[in-house]
Amino acid sequence: MRVLSRVNTVLGPIAAEELGFVAIHEHIGYGMPGCELDTKWWKSPEQRYEETVPKLRKFHQYGGGTFVDVTGICNGRDVDYYKSLSAKTGVHIVACTGFVGGDTALPFFAGASVEYLAQQFIHEITVGIGDTGSLAGVIKVGVSRGGRMTDLDKRIYRAAAKAAVATGVPIMTHLAIDVEPAIEIFNEEGLALDRILFGHVDDGVNHQQTRDTWIAEQGGRLGFDTWGYETELEDPPFWARPRKERLEHFLRFIGQGYVDQVLLSADANCSPLGWPGVKGHTVNYIFEDLIPDLRDSGIDEATITKLFVDSPAGFLTLKN
Amino acid sequence: MNSQTVNTVCGAVPADDLGVVSVHESLLSVVPGAEHAHDITIDRAEIFQILSRKLNDFRNHGGRTIVDSTGMFHGRDVRLYEALSRGTGVHIVASTGMGPEEMLGGYFLTPQTHPPRPWPAEKFADLFTKEVTEGMVVPRVERRGAAGLVATAANREGMTAVEESLFRGAAKTALNTGIPVSLRYGGDAVHDLEVVLDEKLPAGRVVVGGLDRKDAVAAGAPLAVARRGAYVALDHVGLDGDDAHITDRERASLVVDLVQAGQAERILLSSNAIGVAKGRPPYELPYSYVSSTFVPMAKSQGLSDEDARRILIDNPRELLTLDRG
Repeated sequence: MRVLSRVNTVLGPIAAEELGFVAIHEHIGYGMPGCELDTKWWKSPEQRYEETVPKLRKFHQYGGGTFVDVTGICNGRDVDYYKSLSAKTGVHIVACTGFVGGDTALPFFAGASVEYLAQQFIHEITVGIGDTGSLAGVIKVGVSRGGRMTDLDKRIYRAAAKAAVATGVPIMTHLAIDVEPAIEIFNEEGLALDRILFGHVDDGVNHQQTRDTWIAEQGGRLGFDTWGYETELEDPPFWARPRKERLEHFLRFIGQGYVDQVLLSADANCSPLGWPGVKGHTVNYIFEDLIPDLRDSGIDEATITKLFVDSPAGFLTLKN
Repeated sequence: MNSQTVNTVCGAVPADDLGVVSVHESLLSVVPGAEHAHDITIDRAEIFQILSRKLNDFRNHGGRTIVDSTGMFHGRDVRLYEALSRGTGVHIVASTGMGPEEMLGGYFLTPQTHPPRPWPAEKFADLFTKEVTEGMVVPRVERRGAAGLVATAANREGMTAVEESLFRGAAKTALNTGIPVSLRYGGDAVHDLEVVLDEKLPAGRVVVGGLDRKDAVAAGAPLAVARRGAYVALDHVGLDGDDAHITDRERASLVVDLVQAGQAERILLSSNAIGVAKGRPPYELPYSYVSSTFVPMAKSQGLSDEDARRILIDNPRELLTLDRG
């Protein structure tokens, strides 16, 4: 029997062949839980659409097909809003279930069991997110601030692994530091490591503590997914990194033979929710800066297609 | 305006209109995050109906004012409370504030700075103060009404550094705005009270909740807090025979003891009842329990009508009346 090729987007499942060019790790708008209480960050709906729609439209005009939003359950994820954005701009939007890290899971979830968390994720993947009717297409997990996986982080990873095994949806991680316990959990739950994208391996703060080669040797996928957070920016965030250094890191890494295991993205916010965002940084960095840099470095078109079309399609396709 | 007023969700009301007040109750209680749970339904019409029935029962037993003391991040729904107050005629005082630490969102604990530094007292004070001076937040939509109380709490194992910031921020809010502080102490009631008093907040602007906990009673905390000049909330009335709290009979005799010690003006009674619980087990106790069941029992143990009236009406009025310096 031929397996159906399906990816969950906010407007319904689509064939992976329809995804086109994918930005694999992005945010419509991200904020830490509780930021909604601070009027400092509030924006009118008019302003929010005004900041977001042109970026998505441009993404589409550049040839962008799919925008994967990895804003966790408690970080301002707003699926009804994503649906309207997707319908009006023509960009497929994939929403996630899960949490960016234990420290972004609110008390109700922080106190929940692995089984309950797995049920939550499975429900959002197979029944729907809230009353939106939309299905989550990826599961987000991550390492809390502080550099080590907390007990809660580990519970979330285990629940995510169970949900991924049950539903076929892939997992994306925020950070790939302290990765040994994560891989142990995935192995224990019987989840193939090519169903996990270990994210932010190129991050300015954490790349030196990230065992990228080792993760690749185990069969995991690696996310070079903070392109554009550069020290050259006017007001760079603390996780910025020199542009050339990141590029060299990437080229060195794929030079080791891991080009099939990497995915690229910019981790930008269209309209940030609880922080100022980073001026001048958008998802379109991928088209405006990254791809020209890759071409200048001798990366051929077939490889670029692999990085942004074929590999993401393989990763996002539900595996049953 | 020189008249004595209290902030309710429907605006400032004359303090003399409050009548019988329950200072530590919860209307809609949503454990932060439960609103996203796949197996929890939040049916606003149903919630309204349940709360309306409970508030009418409270009113039918002489109650006039309910204080929702759960703060700004535990299900508070200002528009719902306005409609409930209009529909039932019960005054509803809503609160700002947060705590204990484990109930906070990551925005306050691990901000996007390197390293992540939890919020200091000044920032909490600013956040809470604006809920009085500019209105309570309906997240990302609007501000409405003015908070009438700033509520915070420490955890049982003892106050954390973040909780100290919350307590100091709450005290500064009270000083900035004239609303009182409600604190649920952690390990040590007197210690935790001293933290807010250290901000130069007069003790009479503070109510200490949970003083009917067994450990507090054993340590003599109710009398110590009263002597320090703060209000003593015996606020688990109706919780009879759990491991952590004294029984109603013991509560009643504690009330009588405090009165005999000359502290009638410092006592408050409430039940920490939960109107509608989401993300936690329900706690079905009528808001009217204090006046309909407990006070008659306390009277049978020697509480005078005059002192009962003081405890149910005068003391909470004094507490909630805005202090205009």
